[in-house]
Amino acid sequence: MRAESIRSRLSFWTGRDALAAGLLLAFAAGCGAPEAEFRGNLVYVKRKEIEGQTEFTKPQSADMANILAAYFGTPDDPHLPKVPGLELGPLVDLDRVKMSAGKVASDKTGQPHGLYREHCVHCHGVTGDGLGPTAAFLNPYPRDYRMGRFKFKSTVKGQRPTHEDLRKILHDGVAGTAMPSFKVLDNDEVESLVHYVKYLSLRGEVERRLADEVVELSEGERLVLDVSEKDKNPESFNGKIARLNEIVTEVVQPWLEADGLAVPIEERTAGWEDPEAKAKSIARGRELFYGSIANCVKCHGDSALGDGQINDYDDWTKELDPAKPDTLSQYLALGALEPRNIRPRNLRLGIYRGGRRPIDLYWRIANGIDGTPMPAVPMKTPENEKGLTPDDIWNIVDYVRSLPYESLSKQDRQQPQITRERL
Amino acid sequence: MGRFWSLLFLSVPILGTLAFVLAIAGVGPFRDHWLPENVNDYGGVIDQLFMFILYLTGVIFIGTGVALFWFMWKYDAAKNAQPPVYMHGSHALEIVWSVLPAATLLFIAIYQMNAWADQKMRRPVAEAGPDGIEGTEDDVLQAPIVEVTGRQFEWRIRYAGEDNVIGTPDDVHQVNDLHLPVNEDVVIQIKSMDVLHSFFLPHVRVKQDVVPGMKQFVWFHGNKAGVYDIVCAELCGWGHYKMRGKMTLESREKFDAWLAGQYAEQERSGFQPKTGADEND
Repeated sequence: MRAESIRSRLSFWTGRDALAAGLLLAFAAGCGAPEAEFRGNLVYVKRKEIEGQTEFTKPQSADMANILAAYFGTPDDPHLPKVPGLELGPLVDLDRVKMSAGKVASDKTGQPHGLYREHCVHCHGVTGDGLGPTAAFLNPYPRDYRMGRFKFKSTVKGQRPTHEDLRKILHDGVAGTAMPSFKVLDNDEVESLVHYVKYLSLRGEVERRLADEVVELSEGERLVLDVSEKDKNPESFNGKIARLNEIVTEVVQPWLEADGLAVPIEERTAGWEDPEAKAKSIARGRELFYGSIANCVKCHGDSALGDGQINDYDDWTKELDPAKPDTLSQYLALGALEPRNIRPRNLRLGIYRGGRRPIDLYWRIANGIDGTPMPAVPMKTPENEKGLTPDDIWNIVDYVRSLPYESLSKQDRQQPQITRERL
Repeated sequence: MGRFWSLLFLSVPILGTLAFVLAIAGVGPFRDHWLPENVNDYGGVIDQLFMFILYLTGVIFIGTGVALFWFMWKYDAAKNAQPPVYMHGSHALEIVWSVLPAATLLFIAIYQMNAWADQKMRRPVAEAGPDGIEGTEDDVLQAPIVEVTGRQFEWRIRYAGEDNVIGTPDDVHQVNDLHLPVNEDVVIQIKSMDVLHSFFLPHVRVKQDVVPGMKQFVWFHGNKAGVYDIVCAELCGWGHYKMRGKMTLESREKFDAWLAGQYAEQERSGFQPKTGADEND
């Protein structure tokens, strides 16, 4: 009797309630949400392997991940590389990075955390690889920070962006793309996100450099030596560490310099806004647009509709070698997005991705656009007599800014009616 | 269980009423859950209609809730020995409960017509037109001061600028940051670039779906300077929640100065790198 009642009680527990308790537990544990992890740059590693006709060994790949974790931490617990003689100072601040890192939450004082995962991660991905869940649906694809390249900035093509450049992108968004404006966030929050983007960018660049390094190693050689070698063979152990520190320094250096490299633009001579002067400037800009030096027409097309040259790729896509189907399929299998051609901007829409201020357009023309086929125009120097002067660039800026308001086709004046005399 | 179920049903009107009282008094967990302050001269009528309908439906809600409770309590099977009595319809009752709601709905439909027309059809008039009489067909309607375009997932803003015409080189472009003059009629032209959005300014009781390919106008008369919300009130995609903006109502002088400042920045044609140490201003 007694045993039976216990059994019935047991069966009662193993039934409905156990299921309910299990579900509750699952909810409490966040339904098994995995911890956020940085994803390795598999596509770049594959590319290096194909180029070097080698294959990274397991210890080599593990070394890369461990070195990155040692320098940069994890998405939930980021740190900054501590390298002797390298002052990250104003470039990236760990406290600001931490405000954007980790899970979305806010502490007792209302200070938000996990801003990156709240606002950015669904497109740019945890790693900043531009491979978030929504990335494949967007055109253009979200930026992959890991090359350290950014398109819309005040520095010359090939240099890193300034802090202000990145902040402006977050503040204003990128018109004509899926990148929205984060104007309504607090200044502190935007600052924190800028620091976090730089953090991810540095991390991604170091990762690429490590892959470059591994290719150079002989088979069986590793990026670091085992800790046990520290005492036995201190020289080569420390030598390896020094080499890694050197790589990090080489990655950080251009970023540290970038803030001083914004290209200054002389204020235009007074009176340029007078309608007559402006009309002249636009006419001259048009000449240059179709001329052989600036040669904007080559890519932007005869009518500036962005249809002059439409089968090129940006630098991020070029890494996939889109013309080689056999390697491309390997990259796609590793998560790369289907390559798309980069289109020169249609200048008649009045949408300017990098900003519509005359100085923004000036920078685009004078500096080129990093990562894209858009070159910097040749400037006039004693060696290059044929180059353009700043005034020439202003003329092009004026012309480009007039394009959205210029009618593409001029209506012919109505033909005089042909009248036939009736006989 | 006894009369548990009847009491459970009674809790519905009680809790509902309690939530309403707490929310309108702005206390406890329901603080800031009632309608935001109305700062639109034309918004009062919307609030009146809202409250009128709320009270009307509230009375019916409480009435039906209490009636449900009362029947369950009185005719609880455990306490009643008598067999149930079946009734087979009441013609009079059915007419009453058909005609009464129909008449109420018809009343609301007619009662709100003027408010609807004021909000959606009678755009503020700039001048009375050649015949000198306002309210006739030749009235010159007030031109929109700004165009707001919904886009996944932001509000693109374009001011008409000095020439008062949208779509000319002197337009001032903004995003998510709408400034408007207070104490005057303001007309906004609204559009969508991609999908259905809804342009919602809760503090001035303006809400209008924006439809791709359609140009619409909304208007209000702000009467209190301040910073208010812009939100999207139509699920427009995964980033719907991101479509937040802010609307700043300020005096005409401040607004003009702000707009001139934005135009000057938009026309900025000189850049010298900052030499100071502080870059994070």
